[in-house]
Order: sequence, then structure tokens, then C-alpha cells
Amino acid sequence: MCVAGINGLPGPIICADGEHFMKRQIVSLLALVALMASVGFAHGDKKHVLGTLEKINADSVVVKQADGKSVEVKLVSGTMYVTRDGKAAKLSDLAVGDRVVIHATPNPDSSLSADEIKFSVAGAANAPTASKPN
Amino acid sequence: MKRGTVILLLVVLAVGLAVAAGVSILHNGLSARATPTAMEVMLARNVRGLAIPANARNEHNPITPSEEALKDARAHFANHCASCHGNDGGGDTMYGKGLYPKPPDLRLSQTQKLSDGELFWIIENGVRFTGMPAFGGGHGSQEDSWKLVLFIRHLPQLTMDERVEMERENPKGPGDQEEDKEEQDFLRGEPVQQKAEPAHHH
Repeated sequence: MCVAGINGLPGPIICADGEHFMKRQIVSLLALVALMASVGFAHGDKKHVLGTLEKINADSVVVKQADGKSVEVKLVSGTMYVTRDGKAAKLSDLAVGDRVVIHATPNPDSSLSADEIKFSVAGAANAPTASKPN
Repeated sequence: MKRGTVILLLVVLAVGLAVAAGVSILHNGLSARATPTAMEVMLARNVRGLAIPANARNEHNPITPSEEALKDARAHFANHCASCHGNDGGGDTMYGKGLYPKPPDLRLSQTQKLSDGELFWIIENGVRFTGMPAFGGGHGSQEDSWKLVLFIRHLPQLTMDERVEMERENPKGPGDQEEDKEEQDFLRGEPVQQKAEPAHHH
């Protein structure tokens, strides 16, 4: 139930229950007639995978993590390959045994696509680099 | 068909659309995670087009293209724009994906077909009701904005070396810096406290 004003004086419509809320919703709906809601959702979360390269395929790499589990990450056209000292590289520069840090985007099917693969050549991991860590 | 019947049909159609939109909004809410419908995208682009004054549309870029100007613009873009647009202009970033509407892929024709003057005007004045702020009016020089126009033209040809260079210019908070340090330590051969699942980050 709603009452207009207070003590007979003009004023806003005040409701004792949820009617006030409903009225606001209806007004909002009328103002938003042109909008059609969509069911598509973006996925902004990223994952990062640290480990040793176990397998290199044409369209994916398999990384063995410190806990012993292996994770496959897909390679896509936009995948960046970057050396430990921050230089651009390419897929053919990767080798099994390299340490890698992969920044990846989860796909709807739960697979991962690599945005960036940073790597250090196996056996050269402890060598000093000229660049400072970011 | 009589005029009255046509009007009645249009009213019924409008009411039907309103009810459908209302039910959809009540059911799904107004989440910014949603993807704008084709109708909204079309309307927004047309409104944006109308919002740019005709004289601004015809302005020419006074900056002569050069490697130095592009280098400045890459650093500027990486520092100020890439959080939403991404270094490559694709918009595939945490902020970009969370905006409504999403930032356009700057490499595609919908952006590239805009005139230099239109791009400059958008950088300087922003776009209302979107996440695009106005960078003009004291926030930076117009020369920087014109250099950004040059860079936007260059985006479809952006090289991997340039993307790697831009990564160093991206703003990073303490959490990102700590994460980078952990990753560099790992690449140097130090052990890592690896979680059972791939770590989550932005």
C-alpha cells in the first residue's frame, strides 16, 4: 500500500512494502526500452603456468609443473615468445627442457591458450642476464 | 492497410519489444560482463559519429610519421591506453573485457576507417557512456594525441619486437611487480612454490 505525501501535505509516494521498489523498476524499464540484454559473457581471468617444457607440438606445448602435473597450453597466432632477458623470439627457439612461464587465457572448454611464453634455455637458467627483472 | 491499423501494429510492436527488453533485463540484470547486442553496437556507433563535429572530422595529422614519433607513441599507448585496449589494440585485457561496451579492436576497419581528425577528437574528448575518457584539456599535449593517431594507424602492422618493448612500459602495481619477480626467479633456476592448479592472475 502506498501513501502520497505526509500528513496530507504533497510529497513523494511512500510505500510500506516493495511497491516503491517495483515502481522504480518499472520506470527504469521504460527508460531502457531500447536496451536488449545479452547472454554472452566475457572471461577476463588469466592463468599463469610455470614449469619445464615436456613436449612441443605445432599447436600446443605441454608443461610439467613443480607438482609433477602436466598442463597442455594451446599456441595461437597472437602468442608472444619472449626470452628471459626480454627479447622477442619464436616457437622454433623453444626446446624440451626449457623453463617456461606462460600467461594464458582460459577457453570455454577449459583448455588454455597462450598469450605469452617467457622461457630460459635449459642449462642456462642460472646464467646472469643483462636486463633487470620487470 | 488503413493508417490506424499500421499505427496499432507499430504500438503493439513497440510494447512487445519493451516487454521483451524488460523481462530480459529483470532476468539477466544489467551486468557489464554481457556483450552488447548488434542493435546497441549499431546505435552507439551512429551516435558516436554524430557526436564528432564536422570541422574536427576533417583535421589532418600535423605530425610527420617517423620512427621516433612512433616510439614515443608506443610508450604512451602502453602506459596510458593498453590497460583497456591491450598493447596490440585488440582489447583483450581484464579491464577491456569488463567494460560495457567493450573497447573496439583498433586494428579493424571500424576504427581504421575513421579519419585522423575523428581519432584525434575521440582521444581528446572521450566517448560518453563508455569507458573511454577524455585525455585532452590539460591531461596531455595535443602533440601526444596526434602521435597516438599515428600509432593507431600502425597497429595492424605491429611487430612482435614492438609488443615486447611495450610490455616494459605497461603500468604495474606492487602485486604485478612481485609476480614478475617470482617468474624471473623461476626462469633463473630458482624453485617455485607451485600450486596444484595453474595460478590465477590478471
